[in-house]
Amino acid sequence: MIKIENVSKTYKNGTHALSNISLEIKDGEFVYIIGPTGSGKSTLIKLLNGEEVPNSGTVLVNDINVGKLRHSKVPVYRRNIGVVFQDYRLLPRKTVFENVAYAMEVVDAPRDTLRKRVREVLKLVDVADKSNVFPAELSGGQQQRVAIARAIANKPSILIADEPTGNLDPKKSDEIIRLLEKINQEEKTTILIVTHDIEIVRHHPKRTIAIDSGHITADLAGGGSI
Amino acid sequence: MFRRLGRHIKEGFLGVGRHFGMALSSSTAVAITLTLIGVFMVLTYNLVLTTNTIESSISLSALIDYDSEDQVNLQRIEGKIKEVNGVSSVTYHSKEDEFDFYVNSNTDPELQEFYEAYRDENPFRDAYIITISDGTMLQEVTRQVEAIPGVYQVYDGGANTYKLVDVLENIRLFGGILVVALAALAIYLVYNTIHITIDNRKDEIWIMRNVGAKNGYVRAPFLVEGIIIGLFGSIVPILIIGGLYYYLYNALQGTLFGTFALAAPFPFLYYLAAVLAGTGILVGFIGSYISVCKYLRIRR
Repeated sequence: MIKIENVSKTYKNGTHALSNISLEIKDGEFVYIIGPTGSGKSTLIKLLNGEEVPNSGTVLVNDINVGKLRHSKVPVYRRNIGVVFQDYRLLPRKTVFENVAYAMEVVDAPRDTLRKRVREVLKLVDVADKSNVFPAELSGGQQQRVAIARAIANKPSILIADEPTGNLDPKKSDEIIRLLEKINQEEKTTILIVTHDIEIVRHHPKRTIAIDSGHITADLAGGGSI
Repeated sequence: MFRRLGRHIKEGFLGVGRHFGMALSSSTAVAITLTLIGVFMVLTYNLVLTTNTIESSISLSALIDYDSEDQVNLQRIEGKIKEVNGVSSVTYHSKEDEFDFYVNSNTDPELQEFYEAYRDENPFRDAYIITISDGTMLQEVTRQVEAIPGVYQVYDGGANTYKLVDVLENIRLFGGILVVALAALAIYLVYNTIHITIDNRKDEIWIMRNVGAKNGYVRAPFLVEGIIIGLFGSIVPILIIGGLYYYLYNALQGTLFGTFALAAPFPFLYYLAAVLAGTGILVGFIGSYISVCKYLRIRR
C-alpha cells in the first residue's frame, strides 16, 4: 500500500517539483501516472524509491515512512520495490542470467532458489532462450523484458516502471504493457507505470493519475475519458 | 558468509576479465611505479649496508697512562670501557705491539733498524682499540672513555671522522626519504588509474545500489579487483628486479668496485618480493576503496 500525504518537494536549485500532493494506491492495483516532461513524475518515483526525501509531508510504502529511512536502511528497503527504467539500466558486462541473478544475490538467496527463480522470471518475460547473452546483443524490447525480470526477481510488492516503453515502437510497447498486466495478475504485484504515452493508456485502460506542474490534476478510475 | 566471500572473489576476477583493458592499464601503472620503488629499495638497502660496513670499521684508540699499565689497572679500565653504551668490541694492544706495528709499517730496512734501537725506551703507550655499534655515538663514546681514570687520551680520527659519519647518516636518510616519496607517488598514480576505471563504471554502481545492494556488497568486488590489479602489477617488477639483481650480483662476484660487499640475493630478494607484492596489494586496495566510496557517498 502506498500512501502519500501532503508531500512537497523543492530541489536545492529552487525547482518546485511537487506541491502538496496526496494519493493512495492499494495493494495489487495497476496505475498509470501521466504528465508532460517536468511535471514531477520522476520526482514522485524518486520519493517512492527512497532516492529523494520530501521537504514536507509523508511517503508511506507498506507502512514504512520512506522519507525518514536511515541512509543505511535504504538498500534493504529497495529490495521490496522493483524499478524499471526507460533506458533499461542493465549491467553491460553481465549476461542476462547474471543480471537477473544479481538482484537475488544481494539478498543472499540460496543458490538453488536463485537459479529456479531466475529461470522462472526469464520464462515469464519470454527471454529464457537469451540467458547466456549480454544485454548489447538484445533488442530494446528484449532488454526491457530482462529489466522487468530483474525488477520482479525478489517478488517485490510494488513494481515502478519509469517510461518503460519510451524507447520502443508501438508493437513492442504493447507487448511490454501486456507483460506488466500479466505480472500484476500472476504475481499480485502493485504496478505503477509513469508515462507520457497516452496511446498505451487508451489501449490498456487502468486507473490513471495525471500530474502537471507538481499538482495532481486528475485521478481517473479505469482511465476515464483519456 | 563464505559463500558471499567466494562470490565477491569470483566477481572480482570476472570484473578484471571483463574490463581487461582498464585492468591492464592499472596494472601497468602499478608495475612501473613498483619497479621504480624496487630499484630504489635495492639501491638504498645496499647503500645502508655499505655505510654500515664503513661505520663499523671506524675505531677509537684509547691510550693508557704510563702509571696505569699494571695488570690490575688495565683490567679495571677494560671493564669500564666495555660498560660504555655504544661500545661493541674492545681489543688490547700492548705498547710492544704498537712499537712492532710502527716499525713494520716502514718498508725501508735501514729505517726499521734505526727505530729498533729505541725498543728499550719504547715511547708508545698500551692501548685499547674500541669499535662502536653506531657511528652517531662516536663523540659520546670518545667523551665517556676519556673520562675513565687511567686513560691518557682517546684518538678518534678527529673532525674528518665526524664528517664521514654525518655524510653516511645523510645518505641513509636521503635513501629512506626517496623510497617513501616514491611509494606516495605510486599510491597517487595507481589511485588515479583505478579512479578512472571505476569512474567508467559509476552507472554499474548506481544499478547495484538500485536493486538493493548494500554499500559493502557493492564495494567488495571492486576491492577484490583492486587487490588483483595490485598483485599482478607487482609480479613484473619482482621478476625484473629479482632477475637483474641475481645476475649482477653473480657478474660482480658480490662486490661493488671490488670493495663494498653487496647484499646476498637470498633471502634479500624474498623480502623484496614480499614488500613489493604487499605494496601492490595495499595500493590497489586503497585506490579502489577511495574511488568506490566516492560514488557510494553521493547517492542516498
